[in-house]
Amino acid sequence: MNVQIQPPRTPAEAALIDAFGERLSLLPGNGEVTLKRDAAIEAIKAGLPTRRVEAWHYTDLRRLLTAVPPFDATAAATPVAPLIEGSPVLALLNGTASKAAAIEGVTVSAVSEKLGDGTYAPALGPQDADDAIGALNSAFVADGWLLNIADGTVLEKPIELQNVQAGGQVHARFAVKVGAGVTATIVERQTGTGSALVSSVDNLVVGEGSNITWVIVQEQPDTATHLGQFNAWIGKDAKLTLFVMNTGGKLVRQEIRVVTKGQGSDFQLRGVNLLAGDTHTDVTMVLDHAVPHTGSREIVRNVVTDKANGVFQGRINVHQIAQKTDARMACNTLLLSDEGEFSTKPELEIFADDVQCGHGATVTEIDRNHLFYLMARGIDEKTARGLLVKAFVAEVIEELEDEPVVDALEALLHNWFQTHG
Amino acid sequence: MPAVQDTIDRVRKIDVDQYKYGFETEIETDKAPKGLNEDIIRFISAKKNEPDWMLEWRLGAFRRWLTLEEPTWARVEYPKIDFQDIHYYAAPKNQSGPKSLDEVDPELLKVYEKLGIPLREQEILAGVQKEQPGEFEEAGDNVYKSGRVAVDAVFDSVSVVTTFKEELAKAGVIFCSISEAIREHPELVKKYLGTVVPTTDNFYATLNSAVFTDGSFVFVPKGVRCPMELSTYFRINEKNTGQFERTLIIAEEGAYVSYLEGCTAPQRDENQLHAAVVELIALDDAEIKYSTVQNWYPGDAQGKGGIYNFVTKRGDCRGKNSKISWTQVETGSAITWKYPSCILRGDNSQGNFYSIAVSNGYQQVDSGTKMIHLGKNTKSRIISKGIAAGFSQNTYRGQVSAHRKATNARNFTNCDSLLIGDQCGAHTVPYMEAKNSSAKFEHEATTSKISDDQKFYVMQRGIPEEEAIALIVNGFVKEVIQELPMEFAVEAQKLIGISLEGSVG
Repeated sequence: MNVQIQPPRTPAEAALIDAFGERLSLLPGNGEVTLKRDAAIEAIKAGLPTRRVEAWHYTDLRRLLTAVPPFDATAAATPVAPLIEGSPVLALLNGTASKAAAIEGVTVSAVSEKLGDGTYAPALGPQDADDAIGALNSAFVADGWLLNIADGTVLEKPIELQNVQAGGQVHARFAVKVGAGVTATIVERQTGTGSALVSSVDNLVVGEGSNITWVIVQEQPDTATHLGQFNAWIGKDAKLTLFVMNTGGKLVRQEIRVVTKGQGSDFQLRGVNLLAGDTHTDVTMVLDHAVPHTGSREIVRNVVTDKANGVFQGRINVHQIAQKTDARMACNTLLLSDEGEFSTKPELEIFADDVQCGHGATVTEIDRNHLFYLMARGIDEKTARGLLVKAFVAEVIEELEDEPVVDALEALLHNWFQTHG
Repeated sequence: MPAVQDTIDRVRKIDVDQYKYGFETEIETDKAPKGLNEDIIRFISAKKNEPDWMLEWRLGAFRRWLTLEEPTWARVEYPKIDFQDIHYYAAPKNQSGPKSLDEVDPELLKVYEKLGIPLREQEILAGVQKEQPGEFEEAGDNVYKSGRVAVDAVFDSVSVVTTFKEELAKAGVIFCSISEAIREHPELVKKYLGTVVPTTDNFYATLNSAVFTDGSFVFVPKGVRCPMELSTYFRINEKNTGQFERTLIIAEEGAYVSYLEGCTAPQRDENQLHAAVVELIALDDAEIKYSTVQNWYPGDAQGKGGIYNFVTKRGDCRGKNSKISWTQVETGSAITWKYPSCILRGDNSQGNFYSIAVSNGYQQVDSGTKMIHLGKNTKSRIISKGIAAGFSQNTYRGQVSAHRKATNARNFTNCDSLLIGDQCGAHTVPYMEAKNSSAKFEHEATTSKISDDQKFYVMQRGIPEEEAIALIVNGFVKEVIQELPMEFAVEAQKLIGISLEGSVG
């Protein structure tokens, strides 16, 4: 039939390709690393994904990514106070790893080192044809943190990974390898100032019997573009709880790709998206139940105000051998403005028969009966609405087991409502 | 429930992959040469004695089609179709269009008798008299026997006969083949054809617009409640042909019509293409009920042969308070690619979609619906039940969207999948898009197998395993079966039993 003609490059695509030409010699690593970078930029040269690419159906990156800021070597970013007081902080300031804090039971190294000696090369490259974030990040990644948590380590305080920038472009990596029998909480902060373009890829391997909580707090300024990706492989009898909170950014895509690798593993996702202004925020999850006897629960709550555009795509793949899978996914949205938009696509793809899988999705405004109940008790409408919306979101946060983390997240929630409520 | 017992008996009687309607009839046919080009379209148009505007319409669609690409987003796999290797027109000889029953080739009538579709009105009437209420298990092979149904019989590319025309005409209802409508009622066809599914809509719909050969036309005028069920029976008989039918149903202000569609094809090793377009238009306060029992040849146990069923069905609730319901039972076809949809344009309009999709062997089903809320206070409901067995893949794909002005749009979606066997797949891909804060959308989906608890519960009451499974499956699909007209409900229940044969137990 017809020959697929590649449309002309957008200014953003052209800017990325030009930037790669200029940056390559400055980026750490050569040999294998350079080959991987060259291969990754090819994917960008083939064009950014459009809505015709199913995985990007609601986030047409080609159309939405209108401008790409240049790299800014002079930008000075300063670390922010940790979410939990006293947490050891590993900061990445404008794309460069600062001095590492010493944490007992944890070996820390900078990604730039491992890129320099070529040992990080295998982790580079897009994972599949839909992986535009992986491609962009692999082409440009300069630094980040590598953590190795030893068997049996129990961390008292969460480790905080910070990616802070002041405009320009930043491409970061956080790779964490967790041994067996570890209990730890990791907080990832994505913040900064100015209209930056950020790509940040996390790779987490959870060892046997470990219990890991990972909290992503994305509060970029409302002019920034944030492209995040969280990859995790969960080992035998291990548990991973991922909490994602998006409160900022102009164009945000947070991908979550999780594989249950060991029998008896469990994945929990809790998401809170507070969308205001004209943000376009997309949370996309692909969960693979790859072995028998694994479980998962995903609950995502969204509040859409102003002209915000929210997206949640969640796909649960149950492989043929993954019998006895128990997977549930729910996505609930409060659409509070007529100019706002919310789209969701919860998918189930199931090849095993002895499974229990379900998903539910709702989009609605505040229940009038609930509102009436509160107003009948003398609470004014604005306060009553605020209470209900907050309760809708707080429910998800309260489920986390770590009390200081819950308190800190509730404080963030409170702040958001102060400015946007 | 007697029908359940009946299903089980039937399942027992029949061996694996015995397709009941797989016979072929030797009938002399008049065929267009293989291939697709403007001359073939002129040939079809000339065969149908169509006016010039119709030919131009077809050619326009064809030129558009040349620029389109086959869609690949559905979860179906098949070798590339050679569109030049198909006869686009095949008609029984000496058959220029529907005639009175006495003139129809007796061979053809035999085909329909064999299929259980009586075309002789007297027989149908006699059937009604004989029938006692509550005897559905006796209704057996003849699904239409228990009620008075007007039938339009489409054989390969042409409509061979339409029954009860006079009686319907008395009520003001026009029920005829679309080719006849183009000749006799051009003003109506011109006004409505292609207004719901435009010629530019999608690859298969555009192809259909260029080469459609026949189909049914229904026009129910203002305030008329159609006095009987209308039905079209599609039969593919000829080798190497494609069937491209086009159905257009219009219900004017306050009208009501219930329409049924059935289809079968002979058992063959090669795949045959069926690309239909159905357009429904409901004006103010009108209601259209459209039911399908799709039973095209699904291919053999090895997945060889079978019909490719690529269909575009769409209803337009154009007027206020209008209502369109789609009910479908999908058990046949090697590949099903079908999304009966509703455009809820009129204020307070309502769209429903009830579906059972059963797949076995190597069948692939990618089906679902679109509910597009445009008007105020519009409501839609989607109930979809997928049952996958054998090596089949069964996908629900649906979209619900509320546009900016669709205040108080309301949707409820429920799609459940049942897996029988560990080699099949069940998938759910719902899209929800809300652009209005007063919209209220709810979606729920589950996938599971028949739980051991359920099976145990039934079996401990002395019911053998196979029957227990059939009972649970029938319970699973009950919500949809209830929406079907009575005659179809019985047939549908039987079909489900047959389709699952070989996978139960």
